[in-house]
Amino acid sequence: MIDKNSTTLLSIKNLHASINTTEILNGINLTVKSGEIHAIMGLNGSGKSTLAKVLAGHSAYEVTAGTIEFEGKDLLALPPEERARAGLFLGFQYPIEIPGVANTQFLRLAYNTIQAQRGKDELDPLEFDDFVREKMKLLDMKPDFLDRSVNEGFSGGEKKRNEILQMALLEPKLSILDETDSGLDIDALKIVANGVNQIAHKDNAIILVTHYQRLLDHIVPDFVHVMQAGRIVMTGDKKLAMELETRGYDWINADQRLATGVNA
Amino acid sequence: MSNSVTNSNDYLQYLLKSWSAKSASELTGLNQLRASAIDSVGTQKLPNKHDEEWRFTDISPLTRLTYPPSQQQSRLQFSDIDKFCLQNTTNRLVFVDNHYSPDLSNVADSQIQILGNLHSLMSSHASTIESHLGHYAKFDHDIFTALNTAFLHDSALIIVPAKTCITEPIHLLFIASQQEVSSYPRSLVVSGPDSKVTLIEDYVSINQSSYITNTVTEIRLAAHAQVEHIRVQRDSKQAHHLANCAVSLADSSQYQSICVSLGARISRYNLEVQLTGENSNCTIDGLTLISGQQLSDTHTSIDHVKPNCTSRQQHKCIVDGTAHAVFNGKIKVRPQAQQTNSSQSSRNLLLSNTAKVDTKPQLEIFADDVKCAHGATVGQLDSEEIFYLESRGLSKTTARNLLTYAFAADVINRIPVASLKQQLEQIVLNQTQGI
Amino acid sequence: MSAVLQSLVNQPYKHGFVTDIESDVAPKGLNEDTIRLISAKKNEPEWLLSFRLDAYRKWVTMSEPDWQNVHYSKIDYQDISYYSAPKPKNKLASMDEVDPELLRTFEKLGVPMHERAALAGVAVDVIFDSVSVATTYKQKLAEVGIIFCSISEAVHNHPELVKKYLGSVVPVGDNFFAALNSAVFTDGSFCFIPKGVKCPMDLSTYFRINTEGSGQFERTLVIAEEGASVSYLEGCTAPQFDTNQLHAAVVELIALDNANIKYSTVQNWYAGDENGIGGIYNFVTKRGLAKGVNSRISWTQIETGAAITWKYPSCILRGDNSVGEFYSVAVTNNFQQADTGTKMIHIGKNTRSTIISKGISAGHSNSSYRGLVRITPTADGARNYSQCDSMLIGDQCGAHTFPYIQVQNNTAKVEHEASTSKIGEDQLFYLSQRGIGAEEAVSMIINGFCKEVFQQLPMEFAVEATKLLSFKLEGSVG
Repeated sequence: MIDKNSTTLLSIKNLHASINTTEILNGINLTVKSGEIHAIMGLNGSGKSTLAKVLAGHSAYEVTAGTIEFEGKDLLALPPEERARAGLFLGFQYPIEIPGVANTQFLRLAYNTIQAQRGKDELDPLEFDDFVREKMKLLDMKPDFLDRSVNEGFSGGEKKRNEILQMALLEPKLSILDETDSGLDIDALKIVANGVNQIAHKDNAIILVTHYQRLLDHIVPDFVHVMQAGRIVMTGDKKLAMELETRGYDWINADQRLATGVNA
Repeated sequence: MSNSVTNSNDYLQYLLKSWSAKSASELTGLNQLRASAIDSVGTQKLPNKHDEEWRFTDISPLTRLTYPPSQQQSRLQFSDIDKFCLQNTTNRLVFVDNHYSPDLSNVADSQIQILGNLHSLMSSHASTIESHLGHYAKFDHDIFTALNTAFLHDSALIIVPAKTCITEPIHLLFIASQQEVSSYPRSLVVSGPDSKVTLIEDYVSINQSSYITNTVTEIRLAAHAQVEHIRVQRDSKQAHHLANCAVSLADSSQYQSICVSLGARISRYNLEVQLTGENSNCTIDGLTLISGQQLSDTHTSIDHVKPNCTSRQQHKCIVDGTAHAVFNGKIKVRPQAQQTNSSQSSRNLLLSNTAKVDTKPQLEIFADDVKCAHGATVGQLDSEEIFYLESRGLSKTTARNLLTYAFAADVINRIPVASLKQQLEQIVLNQTQGI
Repeated sequence: MSAVLQSLVNQPYKHGFVTDIESDVAPKGLNEDTIRLISAKKNEPEWLLSFRLDAYRKWVTMSEPDWQNVHYSKIDYQDISYYSAPKPKNKLASMDEVDPELLRTFEKLGVPMHERAALAGVAVDVIFDSVSVATTYKQKLAEVGIIFCSISEAVHNHPELVKKYLGSVVPVGDNFFAALNSAVFTDGSFCFIPKGVKCPMDLSTYFRINTEGSGQFERTLVIAEEGASVSYLEGCTAPQFDTNQLHAAVVELIALDNANIKYSTVQNWYAGDENGIGGIYNFVTKRGLAKGVNSRISWTQIETGAAITWKYPSCILRGDNSVGEFYSVAVTNNFQQADTGTKMIHIGKNTRSTIISKGISAGHSNSSYRGLVRITPTADGARNYSQCDSMLIGDQCGAHTFPYIQVQNNTAKVEHEASTSKIGEDQLFYLSQRGIGAEEAVSMIINGFCKEVFQQLPMEFAVEATKLLSFKLEGSVG
């Protein structure tokens, strides 16, 4: 929802980033306010996932120019765990497997770390168990999932649900969901989208990074940005996503004059 | 039979004496190599079971087999060897008791490749031969390579020029026809940049006699070269077969090896593959199918020297009677060989309660960013699988035969030469049905 | 990130202090007289002296093994003192009379020698240099017929048992180091669980090398009669010296019909400094004989210390349906070298064995798994499953896997799997994106990697091992 009075959460200015000296982001400008849902669309290789990882602080990428402010603070100065504790969440495109580490142990450690940061009470294993089971219902997850190792042997859908469960637990201010719809069948997609919609409220914001329109049928964005060659080349509302779906990304190239580049 | 000698030193001395009696003048360019190999033989001993690399394979019976080097006396006709020839393989080099037989050989098109007896190509390709021969199969620490090099005479030579794709497989046929002799087959394959070749190295015998074959094969792949190497050892069940094969891979080259071991009373095959160029990869499949009192030992070493290389290996043994199969597979990843991806599997099927297998897959990893895995299994046929087939009306024997055949066929099916594949399928079928 | 990893692995050794205590140390060197001296000091019966001399005579004809994947300069066996004991003021009547300096030492090491302060129900035999200084809970155990004491005491009080079983699993001439131990062993623990008794508490031995230039050669013998069961724990530390000290122990376990022995070790000998100077040479022979039907022997080891580890706790599965298990975590850092694994010898019918080995190498260290699974012709229906995983931290270390599989029975089924991986940057990034700090993330990943082994440890040890590991690897991950 767009509200003129809401506060600015994220402000990206002229962001350039590279990996092994190859420039991937080539001058990104983006402002996200609380309560908003943004979709970033683009072909593979356009730099969408890189933007997500740079925001989360992945060490493989080097920021060569530009600034990122998160609630007015310099985000680039913080290591990844500090960014997470400040309320920035990345839902991974390919959640990694961590053998031997029980999901419940991992979730509780992450939860308590962030609770402590916010000056709130940590939960003991029993309290946490009740709490997490409640949240799991939101995503229609089986209880045995808590005892399994983090993402190990999970199906694509289970991994993505696990990401959204973490989002629900950690209550981030800004969530970046990287290709959350990939690998989900239509039923799983609805469950995940429903989970995201329930988590979204006026004090947090969500950036959906996606290739296709299908996720946006279920989570309606306030803004749609199109990325190409490391920049945002077009910004519009949800109609832009539908336009892309019917006319394809080539249509953007055919009509570069529309590419005003920066959003409102 | 010659006079018997009892210890390893006497045996080696005896062999060397038999060499000195031979005229060495024909190979002037290679005399240096042969001379240093002879010196090396003088400093080495035959390995025994106390040597870690030979702890499962007792080759002491060799010292009782003082077989002289084979002499040229072949009177074989094409009709004698027809059964070994492969359809659709017009490139064929035939060596009888390691003497090159131009009459039985056939070279399709000498325009696109250099193919023939090293002996006769020496004068025209001396520099290529000298810069490769003996460079990969080192003899300082291997007595059998040293002996082979010392006895170097007729040898198969294949030079594939750059950007050349040889579509017809090349069949190297090594035929044993005499008994109680030693022969020392040798092959050198040099494949140029961007070249492609398929090679069949085939050891056969005319009769079921006793003899010793000691072979060395060297294969060099230049950048982006592709070599498919199929090795079939179907020697006489009375023979002793000792073999070394050394393969060296340059950048982005691909080596595929399929090795089928069926014959010989005692056989030992050492395959050493060095991935010396980045992005190179190798695939090695092996099948050992033995029975009676056979002993078959396969030692492989895959040495990852450079980053970003992959290797995949599968070795299968089917052992019946009182036979004994040995597999020792080493994968080494050197410190700079980051991003190595390597897998190895050793699977063994024991068909009788007196059959025996020793398997030792080894990983030696010195780089941290690698993915390496190996696995080994030893067992019988799966009773659930047998039951499943029985429940579909097959007899227990038929079910067992079918599953045994399937276990072997997995390797045979990878052979890209249809005619050879059919021949081997038939051999495997006969052997597995007899069980 | 590597900097964090680096700083995580390199923590100082906490047990490196020396206790200032007057010791009775034998002169350096080894010959038949040394052996007679040891035997005389311990007032031993004639049969034990001949056992020792027999071993010594075998040892002089043997040579040090060289097949293992470790490298060290030659040990001078004449430059070692083969006997060192803290001088007791007089015969001890109770634990309260133990030299307070010794008590303080073990308190510092966290080993409870006062029964009232003890870990909930663990009986401890404490070995300081060459001799046993105290055994707790002896009385309580005696009530159910369990004998738990130092082996020297057992030689005097239960000679028939010692005579029957000593050397029955590891013969005096078994290998170079076992022969040396058999000739010069000075003390160790003895434990006998009679028929039908389930030991009511965990038994434990704590080893401490204190004197510079002395070797430690202890001997442990654990016997579980028909239907008996026991869980045995072993811990070890040593002070920091620039010289290398030799530790050559022998442990023999015997399980009769339906008996169950679980033997756990947390080995934290001094490992040498970050340049590889000093540290213990740990050459140990441990072997269990699952002699009776349905017997079970289980080895669990957490190997974190020692400059060199050479150790293959083994099971001889003679009884039909007997079970052997080996669970191991070996962590090496700096210049440590570990060559460790197990042997599972299947002789009885339907015998089963499981091997789970986890190796973690950091710094310039090398860690090797070496294991033998042998299925003999009589072992119908034998089963083995082995899994060996290695993790490398940094690019200067090595991980090696040498499994030997020998099968002579076609009804057997043997499976072996091994893999090598590293702590993924991606795993660390994932955890840090959820707010978890680098140290905690690394310790989480490593504990996850070792989980199957830690699960085998008794509770107190599991906590200890987890702490020890994260401590050991602090500074190496990042």
